[in-house]
Parts: sequence; structure tokens; C-alpha cells
Amino acid sequence: MGTRIIIPLILAVASMTAADDPTRPFFEAHCIKCHSGEKPKGDLRLDNLTANLDDKTTRERWHDVLDKIESGEMPPKAKPRPPKESARVVTDWITVQLTAASAKLGATEGRVVLRRLNRTEYENTVRDLLGVEARLKEALPLDTSADGFDNVGDALHTSSFLMDQYLLAAEMALDQAIANRPQPPKLEQKRTGLKDAYQVRSNSENVFRKQDERVVMFSSSQWVAATMFYIAERGRYRFRMSVSGTQSAAKPVTFSVRSGGGGMGGAKANLIGYFDAPADKPTVIEFTDQMEPKTSITILPYDLPNAQTVKKVGSEKWDGPGLAVDWVEMEGPLNETWPPESHRRIFGDLKQAKAPIYNQSTRVEVVSDDPAGDARRILASFARRAFRRPVSDEEMKPFAALVEKRMAEKSSFEQAMRAALSAIMTSPEFLFLREPAGKLSDLALASRLSYFLWSTMPDDELLSLAEKGKLSDAATLRAQVERMIADPKAATFTENFTGQWLGLREIDATDPSHLLYPEYDDMLKASMLRETQLFFTEVLRSDLSVANFLASDFSMLNGRLARHYGIEGVEGWEFKRVPLPRGSHRGGVLTMASVLKVTANGTSTSPIVRGAWVLDRILGTPPSPPPPDIPALEPDIRGATTMREQLAKHRQLESCASCHVKIDPPGFALENFDVIGGWRDHYRSRGGKAKEVNGRKLPYGDGLKVDPAHVLPDGRKFASIDEFKQLLLADKETFARALTAKLITYATGAAPDIADKNRVAAIVTKATTQGLGFKTLIHEITQSDLFQTK
Amino acid sequence: MKIQTRRHFLRSAGVTLALPALESFQSRAWANVATPPPRRMVAICAPLGIHTPFLFPAKPGRDYALTPYLETLADLRDDFSVISGLAHPGVGSSHDSIFSFLTAARHPEIRAGFRNSISLDQFAAEKLGTLTRFPSLSMSAEGFGLSWTRSGALVPPDLWPATVFARLFLEGRPDEVQTQARRLADGRSILDTVGAQARSLQPKLGSRDREKMDEYFTSVRELEQRMVVADEWSLKPKPKVDAKPPQNNMTPGDLIGKTRLMLDLTHLALQTDSTRLVTLMLLGTSLVPPVPGVTMGHHDLSHHGQDPQKIAQLRIIELEKMKLLRDFLAKLKATKEQDSNLLDRTMVFFSSNLGSAASHSTKNLPVILAGGGFKHGQHLAFSHEEPTPLSNLFVSMLQQMGVETEKFGSSTGTLSGLEAKV
Repeated sequence: MGTRIIIPLILAVASMTAADDPTRPFFEAHCIKCHSGEKPKGDLRLDNLTANLDDKTTRERWHDVLDKIESGEMPPKAKPRPPKESARVVTDWITVQLTAASAKLGATEGRVVLRRLNRTEYENTVRDLLGVEARLKEALPLDTSADGFDNVGDALHTSSFLMDQYLLAAEMALDQAIANRPQPPKLEQKRTGLKDAYQVRSNSENVFRKQDERVVMFSSSQWVAATMFYIAERGRYRFRMSVSGTQSAAKPVTFSVRSGGGGMGGAKANLIGYFDAPADKPTVIEFTDQMEPKTSITILPYDLPNAQTVKKVGSEKWDGPGLAVDWVEMEGPLNETWPPESHRRIFGDLKQAKAPIYNQSTRVEVVSDDPAGDARRILASFARRAFRRPVSDEEMKPFAALVEKRMAEKSSFEQAMRAALSAIMTSPEFLFLREPAGKLSDLALASRLSYFLWSTMPDDELLSLAEKGKLSDAATLRAQVERMIADPKAATFTENFTGQWLGLREIDATDPSHLLYPEYDDMLKASMLRETQLFFTEVLRSDLSVANFLASDFSMLNGRLARHYGIEGVEGWEFKRVPLPRGSHRGGVLTMASVLKVTANGTSTSPIVRGAWVLDRILGTPPSPPPPDIPALEPDIRGATTMREQLAKHRQLESCASCHVKIDPPGFALENFDVIGGWRDHYRSRGGKAKEVNGRKLPYGDGLKVDPAHVLPDGRKFASIDEFKQLLLADKETFARALTAKLITYATGAAPDIADKNRVAAIVTKATTQGLGFKTLIHEITQSDLFQTK
Repeated sequence: MKIQTRRHFLRSAGVTLALPALESFQSRAWANVATPPPRRMVAICAPLGIHTPFLFPAKPGRDYALTPYLETLADLRDDFSVISGLAHPGVGSSHDSIFSFLTAARHPEIRAGFRNSISLDQFAAEKLGTLTRFPSLSMSAEGFGLSWTRSGALVPPDLWPATVFARLFLEGRPDEVQTQARRLADGRSILDTVGAQARSLQPKLGSRDREKMDEYFTSVRELEQRMVVADEWSLKPKPKVDAKPPQNNMTPGDLIGKTRLMLDLTHLALQTDSTRLVTLMLLGTSLVPPVPGVTMGHHDLSHHGQDPQKIAQLRIIELEKMKLLRDFLAKLKATKEQDSNLLDRTMVFFSSNLGSAASHSTKNLPVILAGGGFKHGQHLAFSHEEPTPLSNLFVSMLQQMGVETEKFGSSTGTLSGLEAKV
């Protein structure tokens, strides 16, 4: 064993001298009394906490101890305070020990533990490896997260069940990649008018206006959505449609297109997208999408009245806006070659021969005149890409032997090859990102980089640079990062990182009450997510300062969101960069509807939840969870007491005050925003007098008035969210460090710990001297030791 | 170089597959009087809690007065116990407590560093799993389920009753059966290959990485064992049932409809002895369940903040849930098995990871234990001050299942006051 650190507590080694042991008197005086024995306070027992910092659990507990003493949370306020100096000696000493332990671990084993691909990475990797758009994610169990991200190696486990699913997923993917038909599925080309959609054809209620081929839709009721085409074969399809807005006062009419098997575009329907039909000018809209068998597409205008309202007037007299559809075309499945590219990528030009099975009399299979030779060649080239590195003949032998064995057991060549390909896709070399300790090899670097920015395997360019040993060259690496950020695949970085850093994956976790928030709808939800993702991408690609995440003078808005924010001059679904007018209270992620929604439940907001969220996600100082058995404070929706009053009472308790003095201020700063991110001066309330807008009674009224003012722990006061953002901006380095820590966690699959504090700070310092641009920060991270070492 | 197969390795490492030969499967069939009667377990979780003021009687013991929820189960009074005052020690207030519901792993609410442990059903399956075609069945109306492996990985739950039904009861066409046999053979060859590869990697890894590779290696070995069992079972015809294959319920918020489907399927699975261990995760969404009189989302209602209107609607939903439980228990009781009935041989554990969803409290969990050969008809009330570990109940259940263990999770013993029928 190396040098083991002894931290003597009750179990102290007798030979230790007091000089070695600066912590002992402190612990005996302030900690042991409560934190010992069978039922220690806070479930933390210190009398048997060993000194073995090689042990992970022990290290975690020491971290915990350090946090509690540093933050002043422990010893509790009611107990005698230790002199500041003696607490500092102890925390310094623990820090030194933990740093040494961490450095030792880093040197021998690496900071990052062997990590398995999570299910998103698995799906993307298989897609790029095989060249098919297989939906495999749903076939795999949910991954667990640690430190806020689901790609942290520590939390990613393997089980026999998972292995079973991997076998199944590989089989599903290979089924899609390998063609067993002699010809491509027939290319279907259809053109139809909306009048053939059964909802239009069978509707007797006069809500559609029919003009020859053209049909105008005036209602957004789900049951009058127009469903058309029946997709029999899986594949990519191209859709084209000629549309325009009618009677829409020169504004575009927005509509959604969904795909699904429900016909009505119901629950299982996938949103293909929202589109704008320009006013009065028939315009052809075109898109391609991957379609599953037995599905259709459904068109529905957005934000038009319900069908009952239109019906009362009749479609001929109705003078409200409508969506005019002249014709709709479908073409697919689109296969440029046959067998498809995915098939040829595996088998090249190997011949196919008849191999009929039940129900498929024309079925063909790949055959070989030289099974052993073909197998070796095919498997080696497949494994190089699957293992993300060159492979030796020797290590391919077991896979070639597998083909031989299965063929000896009467499998056909193709069946045996499928088994071997599945084996490669189930192999630890495929499923795990293997990184030897120390500085990463170019190949390991290529994978780390690729899974960071693309959530998938390295492409040919990255892989060949790595094979030549050129990737770790600083300028080359820089150029590659530029290329990767500009690539469409970088959208997965935006989606997965914001999905977890900002919690956007939780957007559907609660459904806003339709009584309190009748204006919430699906397009608003989609727009919220899009704003944050586009904003993030804009800050990244244009290398704007990360301070924009705290406060910005622009955002990415479409018509729906602009209306939600009370900003004029933006119409339709399409997003654009919009300068924010004075007094909009928007700008930065904190005041985006998406973030405000995921930090609220369906009926009420809690300053505690939002405050804790800001401390964790923005400032990098997550508060400890509440002590057990403290009932949660719930906003009293009857409006009798405000959260402010409840919290004031709460804070009088010593045990609550130490955390709430930090949690409450950012929470209250966001009080002017409701559960869907709308601005409010008053809370919405179901009791009392109902509000009226344009003569229409709303199902809610004004409740108590919102008071967002508060004071930071250091005494700085703010009266509004705008002032609060200015206070955040004054210390943007704190935010930059917190963001960098999150990025490191996501990029490497392990959170930086106490020993890495200085290295994180150094990255931020370097980026700060260059203006703290987001892309600059990404460059500094990828160029850093922290990123380039296991 | 000689290629060493996984099987070879297993043999040389002295690992024997603890698998009964086909003959012994038959001898264990429940028709044989020489074997002990089968014991079964169903664990059900309502992830948004059960409103305990409507559940727990005021009085402990046998002559408690029925509460609004227990009123529903009045006819089955002697077939269940209601248990108050149980909790998992070290599981903090949070929806994340769901991860520890059947595992008792401490502090799921502190995500970093949390590692789950084996769940009650999988623990039992390790001992009893080979007795039935399926070692266990984990169904869920949510994305994840209640069952976890020893390594702390999620057992992927079945989300679609129609798929489960097909797996349990439908024989494929001859070509499908052949394909299935080929897949098993392929699978075993694949596992051989990748297992050997994992083993050759081991020496190159540091100790933390090696732990991860061990996990992989163990997974390969366990799956291989399961495939051997599946191979044996595949030679036996699947049981025939009269029930029609279920239609999947596609309504996202339909808590009641989805629960009914899962319970019906559970009954069939138990009746045919396809498995003896079932876990069911009920729906817990923010959607409005299609139940007359309910206009607000379920999650929203569970955070009632003492609003009487919300509590009234919550009661409607939960009463529907209780009726489903009653119907399920009654159906088990009505199903005879030799001189006994299914309920007597099936312990049904109905509970929630939350004692009060309104405050995310994880104390005083709502617990109903029915059937399974226990003496019932009582309210077992434990002190709220010094909570008794829920794991104590789990140990009692495991012992009643015939699993010899003194300990599970955070147990400190068995559950006092809960006795087996003689």
C-alpha cells in the first residue's frame, strides 16, 4: 500500500502524535457527541469514519464533513461556535488530505471511471455505425444520473437484463441495416387534396370550406385535424404541400404536422414540426421525415377557434383566419441505391441468393464463396469503427471463430455474420469508453471529444486524425472543435446539455392547471424549448460571452413566445433573433419560460424550489437537502398566507436559517413569473372575483400582489428581477466556474472534485482574458489537462 | 491459440449452474403433493401516495373501525392487514424515494453517489426464479419500474400488457419457434465471445474500472444462466388460457384503465404459475385521469395543500384504486388451487413510497398486506416517533416465501405482530 493517510478520530492510532493530528481536538469538542453511536444525527457517524481515503464512500463522507464545516452549517447554530481559526485549520487540513487522495487516485487510476454508453449515446452510435435511423432508445432501460448528468460513469451500471436488451437492440438495428429483399420496397408517390382526408370527407358540420381541390381549415379542434396517407413501409419519406393563410390580415397562419398511428393525431403522435403558411400566397412547404409502418400524417392549424364556434356561423360566412391547403404530396420510402447504403457498408458487393422463409418467398440473403476470408475482412472493418480504434487480427479471431461455429451449427453465412456483428455491438470495447490512466491517447481523445460534442462515435475525419496521432496537436484539435460545433450533430450537445443542466427534459413533468393557465398549449411548450436551445446555440456558435446566460439584450423568439412575453412585432412559428425592448424583464436563461416552467409545478411556484435551483445550476453551490422530517412548505393556494410569511417564520428556526438565507433571495427574485413563465404582478387565484379580458370571463382572478424584493446573504438588496440579474452579472466569474464544472462533468463523465478546483479556475481565467466567450470556454476546456487526462 | 469459451471458464472456475434438470421441473410442478405449496408475491406501488387520513384506522388491533378507503375492502376484512408507522430509514423526503421503495437503499434523494441495491422481488428470484418459466415480472405504467438488480441496475419493466400476454401465453408459429431457438443459440455464442473478451481486459484495468468490468462480466454470466433455463423451458408448451389477449391502453392519463389491465394480467400469470414474483408500478402523472368527477391533474391533486376541493377529487381517484385492489384480491380468492386458493398463497403488498405526497414525506407509509398465508384482519400500528423499518416486513414476507434470510435492506428483524397461519 502507498502512503495511507490516517485521520484519527475515536479509532485513532495510538502512536499518532498531536502534531500530526490537528483535527482531533476539534472533532472531540464539536462533532462526536452527536455524530456517533447507533443513531447518529443526520445519519452521519464520525466515530467510525476511517482514515482510508482510498475508499470511495469514505472520501464522500469526508467531503460532506468538509462542506458542512466550511459552510458554517455545522456545528449547529445553537451549539458553541468553534473559533474561526480552528475551523479553518481543520478544513485546510481535510482539503489537503482529500486533494492528495484525489491526486493519487488520478495518477494511478485516472479521475474518470470506465463509462458505458448511455442509451442516447448508444442509439446515436448505432445510427452512425450502421447508417440506419433505428429507434433503439426505447428498447433500453432508463439510465441513472449522478451529479446532474446521465453520462456519469459512476452511475451507469450493467445488468443481465441490460445485456439482454443490447442483444435485442443489435438485432433490431441489423434487421434495418441489412436488406433481405431482392428489390427495394416500391416507391410510392401520391398526391391528394385535403378533401380526401376522412375527417373532411365524412364531416357534415360545415367547418371546412371546399373550393375545387382547395380546402380551407378554420378550426384547431383536434377532431377536425386532417389525416392522410397510409405508410406501409418504414423509411424516409418526402412530403410537399401547397398552403397559404386566408383571411388572416396579412399574417401567416401556423399549423402543425404530426405523424402517428392514432389517426386523430392523438397521444402517440410525434410532432414533425410547426410550419407557417404565408398569407394569401400559396407556398410549397417541403420536408422529409423518418416514418414507421402503419402511420399517417395529420395537419392541424394552430390557435384557431374550436369547431363548434365555426359551425354556428358556417364555413362559407366565417370571416376568421384559415389555413388553405391546395394539395399534399408524399414520396417514399426514399432509397437511392439497392441494397441500401447501410447494407453495402457491412457487406460491400457480396452477392445475394434466394433464401425464402415463411411468408417471404422472395427473400434473399448474402452468400459467400469464401466465408472465412469474407468474415475476417468484414468484421475487421466493422470492428475498427465500432471499437473506435484500429483492431488487430489476433483480437478479431474470437469473432471470426463465432461465425465458423455458428456455420458449423447449420446457420447460414448471413445469419452467422449477424451473430458476430451483434457480438461486436455487445462487446465491452463497443459499449464502454475505455481510457487508459494518464494522458489520453489520440484515439481516446477522439472518442471523448465526439461523445462530448456529438453524443456519438467519432466520424472518419476524427478517427483518421487520431490514428495518425495528429488530433492532440493543439491547432488541429482547435480546428476539429470548430468543425464539430458547426456540424448539425452538435444539436445533440445543445439538447442533452441544456436538457440536464437547465432541466429541460422535465418540461412534461407537470401539466399546468387548465383552470389557472388556460393559455398554455402545446405550441407554447414547443416554443419554450426551442427558444432556450436556439439561444444556447447562438451564444455558442457566435462565441458570445457566457454572461449572456445570466442576462442578455436579445433572445430567440417566435410569434407565440413573443405574445407570451408581451413583445410585439413577431409573428408565426419561425424563430428569429429579437432585441429585447426595455422593461421586458427577459434576457438570460433564468427568465426563459422553459426554465420557469420546469422549476414550478402545475399550479404554483415555490421560491424554495426555484432558489435551490439557481444555487445549484447557476451558482454551483447546491444547498443540502432539507433535514428529514421537516414538512415541505407548500404555497397556500387559498391565498391566506403568502410564502413570504411562511418563510419568514421558517427562517426564525436556527436550523433552517443557515440555508434559507441563501435559497430564498434568488427564489423571490423570480416570483414575478408564473408556472408557465408568464409575467405576473398578482398571483392567479381561483377564489374571488374572476378576471375579464375582451369581455370574456377567465376562470381565475387576481390574488395577492407579488413582492420580489429580497436581500442577498452579503447584504446587497434588490427590488426586482432586473436588479437581481445585475447583481449576478457583477460576479459572472462565479457563474463561469459553475458552468465550467457542469461542462467538465458532461464532457468527461465525471464531476471535477476538490482537487480539480484550481484547474477549473485556471480554465475560467484563461477564457476570461479572451472575453469569456462560450466557444472560447469550450476550446479552453478541450485544450485543458482536465479534459485530456483520464 | 486455443479459444477458451465462457462455458469452459465457468467450469474451470468451479461455477456450477444451479439449474434443475428438466425432470425436476416436472417434479416441482404444483400438482405434485410432495412439494411445498407455491408461495407468491405481488408488490404494488402508487407513486403519488395514498391519502392516509382516509386509510389508517384510529385504533390498532382487530376491532378497528373501517375508514373510507378500507370500507371498500370490508368483505375481505380477514384477508388483509393494514399497517401504519413503517418507513425506510435514511430515505429522505422526495419523489426519488421511489428508487428505494423495494430496495431500502439509503438516500436516493441525494443523487450523486447514490447506488441502488437489490429489490425484494429480485432477491427472492435469486432463490426461487428457476421454478417458473419467468423468474419475475416487472410491469409499469411509468417509464421505470420497481425492480433493481444486485448491481443497482434497473430491471427494465414491461410497459405493454399485450406484449406480456404474448410472451406468457402465445406459442409462435413453427418458424417463429425456430427463430427463437436460433436467437437463443446465437445469444449464447455471443455471450461466450464477449465474456472472454471482458475477461482478457480485466488485467489491464485499474481497480475502479475493473469493478465496472466485473459488473459487465457478471451480467454476461447471469444472462447466460437465464438462457440455459429459457432453453429448457422452451421445450415445454406454454400454458393455455381462455382470456382474450389484452388491448394496450393508449390513454396517457388513464390510471384506472392501465391498472386494471396490469392486475388482470398478474392474475393470469399467477394462476398459470408462469411466475411467482410480480412488481407493479402504477401510473403517477400530472394528467387528469378520465374518472367522473375529476377535473384536475393527479399530481396536482396529490399536492392538495389541504384544499378541500382537491382532497375530494383525490378521494375519488383513490377510491377507484381501492376498488381495483378489492376486485383483484377477490379474484385471487375465488381462484382455487388444490385445497387452497390463490390469495392464500399470494402475498399482495400494496403501498407507496410516499407517506404524504403533499409534502413528499417518506414517513408513515400507507401499507396494506393481503393474503399469502398470514394471519390478517388487524391494524398493526407502529410508533411514528421511532419508525419501524419497512424492511422488517420484507424479511417476514421473504421468510414466508421460503427464502431463508434473517436480513434484507435496513431490517432489524421481522415485523412483530405479523404471524403466519399454521
